[in-house]
Amino acid sequence: MSSSDQAVGVAERLHPLYLVTGLGRGLRQMAGGYAAIGYFAATGSWGTALLLLAGIAVVLTIGVFLYWKRFEYRVGANEIRIDSGILSRTHRSIPFDRIQDVDISQGPVARLLGLARVAFETGASAGDKSDDGALAAISLARAAEIRELVRARRGAAVASADLTETEAAPIFAMDPPRVFLAGLFNFSLAVIAALFGATQTVGDVAGLDFFTRRFWRQALEAGSPIADFVLANQIAAGIAGTVLLLITGLVTGVARTVLRDFRFRLDRTPAGLRRRRGLLTLTDVTLPIKRTHAAIIGSGPLRNRFGWSDLKLQSLGKDEGKKGDHLVAPLARESEIAAILAQLNWRPVDPSSDWQRTSPAFAWGFTGALFLLLIPAGIQLAINPLIGLAAVAFLTVLVAFRWLSWRRTRFALDGDRLLIRSGWWRRRLILLPLANIQSVDLTENIFSRRFGLASLAIGVASGRGFSAHGIAAIPAPTARALRTSLLARFA
Amino acid sequence: MTPSTDPPLLAVEPGYRHVLRAQTAISWLPLVIGAIIADQILLRDTPFHGIPSIIVPLLALLAITLIPQRKYSRLRYRLTDRMLQSLHGWMFHTDTMVPFVRVQHLDVVRGPLDKAFGTASLIVHTAGTHNSIVTVAGLAPDRAAEIRDIIREHVRSDFE
Repeated sequence: MSSSDQAVGVAERLHPLYLVTGLGRGLRQMAGGYAAIGYFAATGSWGTALLLLAGIAVVLTIGVFLYWKRFEYRVGANEIRIDSGILSRTHRSIPFDRIQDVDISQGPVARLLGLARVAFETGASAGDKSDDGALAAISLARAAEIRELVRARRGAAVASADLTETEAAPIFAMDPPRVFLAGLFNFSLAVIAALFGATQTVGDVAGLDFFTRRFWRQALEAGSPIADFVLANQIAAGIAGTVLLLITGLVTGVARTVLRDFRFRLDRTPAGLRRRRGLLTLTDVTLPIKRTHAAIIGSGPLRNRFGWSDLKLQSLGKDEGKKGDHLVAPLARESEIAAILAQLNWRPVDPSSDWQRTSPAFAWGFTGALFLLLIPAGIQLAINPLIGLAAVAFLTVLVAFRWLSWRRTRFALDGDRLLIRSGWWRRRLILLPLANIQSVDLTENIFSRRFGLASLAIGVASGRGFSAHGIAAIPAPTARALRTSLLARFA
Repeated sequence: MTPSTDPPLLAVEPGYRHVLRAQTAISWLPLVIGAIIADQILLRDTPFHGIPSIIVPLLALLAITLIPQRKYSRLRYRLTDRMLQSLHGWMFHTDTMVPFVRVQHLDVVRGPLDKAFGTASLIVHTAGTHNSIVTVAGLAPDRAAEIRDIIREHVRSDFE
């Protein structure tokens, strides 16, 4: 209360050009509307389609304008205030001390117009309100100014001189070939799944559903030559389809990675690690070193073979809004990762640490559970060999992954930090300084107790949605001892 | 504020009862309409015809008259010198305490109903993924802003 203008700051609006960029974003969000328009257009009701189009345009324009009109922010002496909302008003106040980093990002249109989107990352996971506080479009100069201001107010060690990028070599950077390579490794299985789903749907529309018995019975009853033909065709089509999917997966992976990681550059600045990347949308994120809670070195079987891995840092706040941990090196050699860790004053992982394994019950339990699923799969095998076979193969792969993953799972107490290595397909090595542990859960259930096992879940004040870092299936006495030593420094 | 003894639990604005009533009414509305429509269309030729059309609105009326009052009487909050405490819940009592130093940012929210009845909600965001949003509803707008400013001062003084 009783706040002078200086304490609260002067009310500022978003840049008037937000009316342009905001409209663009609104247009992208109207996917359902386009579907409807397309439907009406396709069925010949052009009038309805046009009317709908006009309606959407009007509503969007009014919406964007009202949002702009009702949006105000103030940069005060100790906080940033954001007043927003058309009907329901929210007056948000974000103290400078709680701002972890200020993300500046620029989409292609915004770059043309010299605008930037500024997001204040505070580490509060407001769940559905994914942004802790964001200014959708202000001028780039003002964005940089606000960021400097926040850093200065946060008591960052250095009264920031002009931090232009000329001063020092980056601690990590990726040249275009490296980005391309990262894209190849980023080969996306999700896309394949989606495309497979799409082919299924299209196949449905075309009246060909290979997964109904009727289809096969008809095909086989029609005589063996045709059956052979169908089968051969099926296989050829299957192979061609698979190759196509693989290529699509690769292309998608490369495209996504190049768009995201182009000119990837990580610098050490007084405020922390500064990451810049992007082809069309540039992002500029600074990660305060003090707030880094854990490091995760990830890899995969293929990447590992060629000696590549990635490095993520876990801090309060999420990477670019909602993606979890901050990726500070998408594809790096071990020495490069060690160099980044050295910037945090963390020593590299000593391979000769006192690694302990977990109990094979980790894999046995899973195998046992999947064994139950083998029964319906076996029944399918009798009725519908193709599906049955696929199901059995799938289960086998799952079990194999679990065993491989168990073989790689290790943990070690390495002085003042805990190392957890896990996974075979998604390899992860977690470096967790003990000082950053918030909580330790020890869990036993009726099965695990029978085998004298327990699981540990280790809470850190940050990270992806559900994740406490965990160690599954370790002998209960070991688990208790480990918990004691993890928490020893707080005793 | 006297720092040593805990200040008493405070009740929220009486006007918030109306907000709660309006909210309950709005949440029951679709059910009532749905029940009446279903009754008139689906149950036309059965002996049950007409029963939902009477029972459901009655239930709604009961809910609107009884529940908001109870919820309101459970709503309490307390501001000590380092914590915000919020009590709410009629059937499931919840008592939340938030140390000021753990607060990340603060919202004062006024929806259309809040504006109509002169109340506001203070929403406190803490770090982490679990229970990270604590709401104190039904405050007078000035009071909400006042608490916000008090908490903000504490956030500022916590410094490494």
